[in-house]
Amino acid sequence: MAPQIHTYDTIIVGAGGAGMRAALESSKRSRTAVLTKLYPTRSHTGAAQGGMCAALANVEDDNWEWHTYDTVKGGDYLVDQDAAEIMCKEAIDAVLDLEKMGLPFSRTPEGKIDQRRFGGHTKEHGKAPVHRSCFAADRTGHMILQTLYQNCVKQEVEFYNEFYVLDLLLHEEADGTKYAAGVVALELATGEIHIFRGKAVILATGGFGKVFKTTSNAHTLTGDGMGITWRRGLPLEDMEFYQFHPTGLAGLGILLTEGARGEGGILRNADGERFMERYAPTIKDLAPRDIVARSMVLEVRDGRGAGPNKDYVYLDLTHLPAAQIEEKLPDITEFARTYLGVEPTTELVPVYPTAHYAMGGVPTNVLGEVLADNDTVVKGMYAAGEVACVSVHGSNRLGTNSLLDINVFGRRAGINAAEYTVGAELKPLPAEPEQAVVSMVEGLRNSTGHERVAQIRSELQATMDSNAGVYRNDETLAQAEKDVKELQRRYRDVAVQDKGRRFNTDLLEAVELGFLLDLAEILVLGARNRTESRGAQAREDYPTRDDVNWQKHTMAYREKDGEGGYKIRLDYKPVIVTRYQPTERKY
Amino acid sequence: MSTATVQEHVETSASGKAGIEMMTITVRIRRYNPEVDAAPHWVDYQVTADPTARILDSLHKIKWEQDGSLTFRRSCAHGVCGSDAMRINGKNRLACKALVKDLNPTKPITVEPIQGLPVLKDLVVDMEPFFQAYRDVKPFLIAHGNEPTRERIQSQKDRDRFDDTTKCILCAACTTSCPVFWADGQYFGPAAIVNAHRFIFDSRDDGANERLEILNDREGVWRCRTTFNCTEACPRGIQITQAIAEVKRALITRRVI
Amino acid sequence: MSTHVSLEPPRTGNPGRSQRYRSRKGPGKVTRGNFELYSWLFMRASGVLLVFLVLGHLFIMMVTDGGVEKIGFAFVAGRWASPWWQFWDLMQLWLAMIHGTNGMRTVINDYADKDRTRAILKGLLYTAAVLTVALGTLVIFTFDPSIKG
Repeated sequence: MAPQIHTYDTIIVGAGGAGMRAALESSKRSRTAVLTKLYPTRSHTGAAQGGMCAALANVEDDNWEWHTYDTVKGGDYLVDQDAAEIMCKEAIDAVLDLEKMGLPFSRTPEGKIDQRRFGGHTKEHGKAPVHRSCFAADRTGHMILQTLYQNCVKQEVEFYNEFYVLDLLLHEEADGTKYAAGVVALELATGEIHIFRGKAVILATGGFGKVFKTTSNAHTLTGDGMGITWRRGLPLEDMEFYQFHPTGLAGLGILLTEGARGEGGILRNADGERFMERYAPTIKDLAPRDIVARSMVLEVRDGRGAGPNKDYVYLDLTHLPAAQIEEKLPDITEFARTYLGVEPTTELVPVYPTAHYAMGGVPTNVLGEVLADNDTVVKGMYAAGEVACVSVHGSNRLGTNSLLDINVFGRRAGINAAEYTVGAELKPLPAEPEQAVVSMVEGLRNSTGHERVAQIRSELQATMDSNAGVYRNDETLAQAEKDVKELQRRYRDVAVQDKGRRFNTDLLEAVELGFLLDLAEILVLGARNRTESRGAQAREDYPTRDDVNWQKHTMAYREKDGEGGYKIRLDYKPVIVTRYQPTERKY
Repeated sequence: MSTATVQEHVETSASGKAGIEMMTITVRIRRYNPEVDAAPHWVDYQVTADPTARILDSLHKIKWEQDGSLTFRRSCAHGVCGSDAMRINGKNRLACKALVKDLNPTKPITVEPIQGLPVLKDLVVDMEPFFQAYRDVKPFLIAHGNEPTRERIQSQKDRDRFDDTTKCILCAACTTSCPVFWADGQYFGPAAIVNAHRFIFDSRDDGANERLEILNDREGVWRCRTTFNCTEACPRGIQITQAIAEVKRALITRRVI
Repeated sequence: MSTHVSLEPPRTGNPGRSQRYRSRKGPGKVTRGNFELYSWLFMRASGVLLVFLVLGHLFIMMVTDGGVEKIGFAFVAGRWASPWWQFWDLMQLWLAMIHGTNGMRTVINDYADKDRTRAILKGLLYTAAVLTVALGTLVIFTFDPSIKG
């Protein structure tokens, strides 16, 4: 059956924060369709808790330059400083725009947007923590997602819900210039293939936390957008930098906001010691996530972990007034009660680092345009949010900067994509554009193999957790590389049980696993290749930062290996430095 | 029909808690695949479960280890995305917030789709009618006059006035627990009213009268019979029946306080 | 590991059941207005009034002046000679009937899911209500104490 073809100006893939922020802009200026694997309000933006930083100075003196400095230093000097400057400057309007759209921020006594402290955010270049994170209790992400969706309803944005985009259509002119031509999507409800033609495509599909077992990420975060881009021969940047959030509920990985420490929460080891005083004497528990996560792992390794297996530490909120906890942190207290049976107002909460956020992704410039190499733009192709790597987060993202990223660069991508479509024309589709998707989907549906998706996935997650986690070394990474390669081989023999068309989530999980395997390999290879410790990449065998050799982004390319398969080639991209020369990172 | 069995043996549970007693539970799921089934039917599955784990974990275990065709929606798995509302032991809940130990695991645990919306496959229902009712109440800030350069000023007290209804995650547990909605699906339903309430009582909003007029519909708030099913079903603990009562009061007095 | 069990007939997902999409209301079909509001208010007000009217009525009939034994033709004739009691009973009749009918109307709206069933049930309900109210009103106003039982 021939696929249905839909034609739009701008096609947005993904309806989380970045996708919907882009849609609000592009739908005003161009005919826009938003394709999403999930109903928009299911997106994982809604799970963000603590806030969105902007130097509003509502509570104390602050300015965007300090915010930029913190972002650059937090990212361990791998941040492209021009992009960070833009983000921190536009942060203020991004927050005010959301407020005007109706976002119910928590308020100061004067009725202004309230702000709280957050990890790594300081005043006067690191002197003391600053109140910078604008929040709505511990549901800031939920409020952002709801507010953006509400405004999409208001603007009558066209959504294609539960349409899973499985391929990117590119067009190459004779001079080698690449253009976006559209996407191919599977309609989950019917199993039908649809082709969406467009002048511009914006990717906003989020991250790929599901390569790890213990993760704060949703089951649906499987790196689809990065995967399809990668398979179409476009590079991925800085994939080895994967952030572990210090406070996941122990064993479960469910996120407990850094805002808990911003409100005064303290991390303690089994002896009750406030161990962060040793690792970050100035800002202690409010150090950036990479530092706190590493400190926690060290405490456990040194035998100071708590619990029967001595495998976690505690988050202590018991000294805070119960009313403050109820008002400022209602959701996380409920998570602790529901999932661990712990009462945070009177008991210590077991926590341990949980895989949280991909700093890397599809490389873009500050306009949101996707790059085909270090500086060539793919015309009409944009990316924003976790799927993209601008890079504003460098090797370690500061807390709250993701909500900022999606709003600032989601908006930029939306405006720029729509403006591009005004003068542009539709590019021709390749012959049989649906072919790759059909063969992938039918291949999986009709496979007679014996491997099971869940089995391979859990083995992948196990090896990634133990070999590519907070601390890595060449030996563990070599093991991970070997395991991933073996799993990729076994994946070719994977079969699904559900052979039907309607809502075939069995098939969906098999496709997702394919993307996870691709991305895990790039992550591991990049990590093994980078022989230094920087931000989220902590190498036991190379414990220091090496600015001489590694002050550069990793660019991974997928290339034919001459034997009918593909190999990964690693290349580099310089870091853009404007104001801040790399110095030793102390907190 | 299989009898319930509880075999207890010690294993390390999935969540890494040592010494948790695992148990075998029976999950009775209402299956329906329109491509092959003439009608929905119940199927029993036996799975090993950690009593402190979520029903969603058991559903995953069934899907991943026994029957890959079992279909349900899920995403965040900790009660913030609203994907996995289903009727578990006769009550609407999120599968990721219902723990095995709270469900009397000595008996089969029944899992079926939320009611009143067309079933597409197994536990997946068509959410479109639900979202249509949501869209119909104008769930967005309507503000007249000039925009301020900075934020709008709102006291914490005014902000608190509508705090409860901002928590809604649109999971449809409330609306599909409402007997009035079950009848013909024409009633706006609790979720739509909750989302109207969120704006009607927002001091920054000027659209209260429009929304009140919409809810003055024959299918609006007056169809609420205060059965409290919605309040009981809400996984976010929103006082829904109270919110509906406040909208009724605002309609009668034509004052929003 | 799985066994198939057949239980009661399907409650949801029956392909034979009508689809439950909210009907889009065209401009010609206005269903907004204050009718349901007044109806809701009426139920509350009449409910409160009926508590006093009916309890008062029962108290007078059952407890005062020797209890229920006193009731007879003459007693009724005596009461309805007074406009006050005529008004009391008329109020009881009307309020109770409208209250009950309106309640039944909402029950039919809630539980009859086909338009035709609804129309038939409501037709029967309204006919019964109108007949009862008309007959009762007629009796209250035209009661002739001179007829001998």
